[in-house]
Amino acid sequence: MQPGRQRLPAPWSGPGGPRPTAPLLALLLLLAPVVAPAGSGGPDDPGQPQDAGVLRRLLQQAARAALHFFNFRAGSPSVLRVLAEVQEGRAWINPKEGCKVDVVFSTERYNPESLLQEGEGRLGKCSARVFFKNQKPRPAINVTCTRLIEKKKRQQEDYLLYKQMKQLKNPLETVSIPDNHGHIDPSLRPIWDLAFLGSSYVMWEITTQVSHYYLAQLTSVRQWKTNDDTIDFDYTVLLHELSTQEIIPCRIHVVWYPGKPLKVKYHCQELQTPEEASRTEEGSAVVPTELSNF
Amino acid sequence: MRWILFIGALIGSSICGREKFFGDQVFRINVRNGDEISKLSQLVNSNNLKVNFWKSPSTFNRPVDVLVPSVSLQAVKSFLRSQGLEYAVTIEDLQALLDNEDDEMQQNEGQERSSNNFNYGAYHSLEAIYHEMDNIAADFPDLARRVKIGRSFENRPMYVLKIASDYQRDPAITSILEKMDIFLLPVANPDGYVYTQTQNRLWRKTRSRNPGSSCIGADPNRNWNASFAGKGASDNPCSEVYHGPHANSEVEVKSVVDFIQKHGNFKCFIDLHSYSQLLMYPYGYSVKKAPDAEELDKVARRAAKALASVSGTEYQVGPTCTTVYPASGSSIDWAYDNGIKFAFTFELRDAGTYGFLLPANQIIPTAEETWMGLKTIMEHVRDNLY
Repeated sequence: MQPGRQRLPAPWSGPGGPRPTAPLLALLLLLAPVVAPAGSGGPDDPGQPQDAGVLRRLLQQAARAALHFFNFRAGSPSVLRVLAEVQEGRAWINPKEGCKVDVVFSTERYNPESLLQEGEGRLGKCSARVFFKNQKPRPAINVTCTRLIEKKKRQQEDYLLYKQMKQLKNPLETVSIPDNHGHIDPSLRPIWDLAFLGSSYVMWEITTQVSHYYLAQLTSVRQWKTNDDTIDFDYTVLLHELSTQEIIPCRIHVVWYPGKPLKVKYHCQELQTPEEASRTEEGSAVVPTELSNF
Repeated sequence: MRWILFIGALIGSSICGREKFFGDQVFRINVRNGDEISKLSQLVNSNNLKVNFWKSPSTFNRPVDVLVPSVSLQAVKSFLRSQGLEYAVTIEDLQALLDNEDDEMQQNEGQERSSNNFNYGAYHSLEAIYHEMDNIAADFPDLARRVKIGRSFENRPMYVLKIASDYQRDPAITSILEKMDIFLLPVANPDGYVYTQTQNRLWRKTRSRNPGSSCIGADPNRNWNASFAGKGASDNPCSEVYHGPHANSEVEVKSVVDFIQKHGNFKCFIDLHSYSQLLMYPYGYSVKKAPDAEELDKVARRAAKALASVSGTEYQVGPTCTTVYPASGSSIDWAYDNGIKFAFTFELRDAGTYGFLLPANQIIPTAEETWMGLKTIMEHVRDNLY
């Protein structure tokens, strides 16, 4: 299978054209299919499994980052996407600048309720260009995806979620969502979905080419009254980072109204220095700083 | 990744006897600090009121549930008010609730075993798991034995279930057991496991003390003697992948190493973790190709295919270092470099949706598909003994 080879502009061209003096390592790795699901029976790995493994990880990394950004930008807690499968891609690595990745991938609708997404099939296809700047977070992302759900239906579902949250009494404060056995009470789903959306912004901002995150659990929720019709929530989320295995608590403040861009402020706890205690001690003080898109 | 159970576990109530609870209530009490927890402990420790913790107090900011016998209701309410402790009655008649639950459980029972009601579709305490292992050995004395192979830092036993001799019901298993014994260690980090149920659900490491640091524990899967303290591990005791002061410093790891070395003749070593849906083989400590990589890769792909055939769950296959990340001091690298050719790591469900908090309703589906993968590997080992 030969993916379409378009004439893409060389990634490192500035306004003055390519930089001839930079030690340009244009490592063009083109593999298709890039990730064959186990048991697909397709042709086996290309000659160098290590390279294929590294590329596959990089493409997955890029796809995840692109999805965090996409979900945040779409601003719709009722229609969130997760990565289904990376289909093809290539990467340019410049040791001085970072890493640019083009990736095409399929997505599924995020739905923790269903055990496996089989019935819904692979909905949605995205293509993205992701630029990981050398170990710096907040990759620059261009991403487009095919429509997953009718716009009107999405608006209706968002509005339904909005109403559910508006009607919540506020006893919540400290909860575990999901609980320690992975259960999310249906009445708490809207809270989780909005937290997932807010966390997407955070995870986009802190992802690098080597670190990637999942939302593990919410440990506190607080809703604030607003003067307008927006929904205003404070969350504490636990993010799980795969390469270091760290669990990172973040305080997130989210303001949302259906159809409007999501507003997020957050503060994640720094990774400990040798003398700081780990999560065995609760109640560590978190000083909110103004890292936001307000 | 977290060490996980092979058998599901339930965090159940500690009420397992056949007492009756008419009119008994469960109070949910908000405790905001250590002071309030002490006041509450006072209440529980005073024998005459017969109040019990329904669920042990964990950290601050989590409400504590106590079981109050009907005769003590008034006294307890007065006590709580006098101490300024906020409470709510969450269960108004425990017996009614239990009667309901009994009915439900009897309807929902997964595999009900003859002599007890161990539900394989739920999570269990360490005690319950060990008890069930004992029951299995008692019920099938010709097939299974529970063997202590060591202890944890906090002195909990480490038990394996040895499965040997002939099992006539399933020809595939019979033929495996004709050639090999199977040793199953459901909980490789008992202290950590208990800690996740009592204090911090996302705890990863052991619970050993680190001299000179306030941080506890080492990553048991960075503590093996295979490129110990190399890439993909940390020398910071506060890190989740702290490798420990030296190889086999963690008694849980040493127990397994000693057992395997003393017993000898192991042909296959499989390590089960969560999460990410991966099936991996050595190496983690280096990108170098293992001498048997091709064979291991083929077996792993067959196993992943067999696994996927059950419910469609897709696993990625490959060597640890490039499939997930570099990791030194890992168990399967040690096993492989010490003569155990068939060394694999499973990262079980899911791919990130629930992650470590996999819902109990996925325990049995996960077990059923994983079993197909394990069986594939064991059959290959059976046919390729060395």
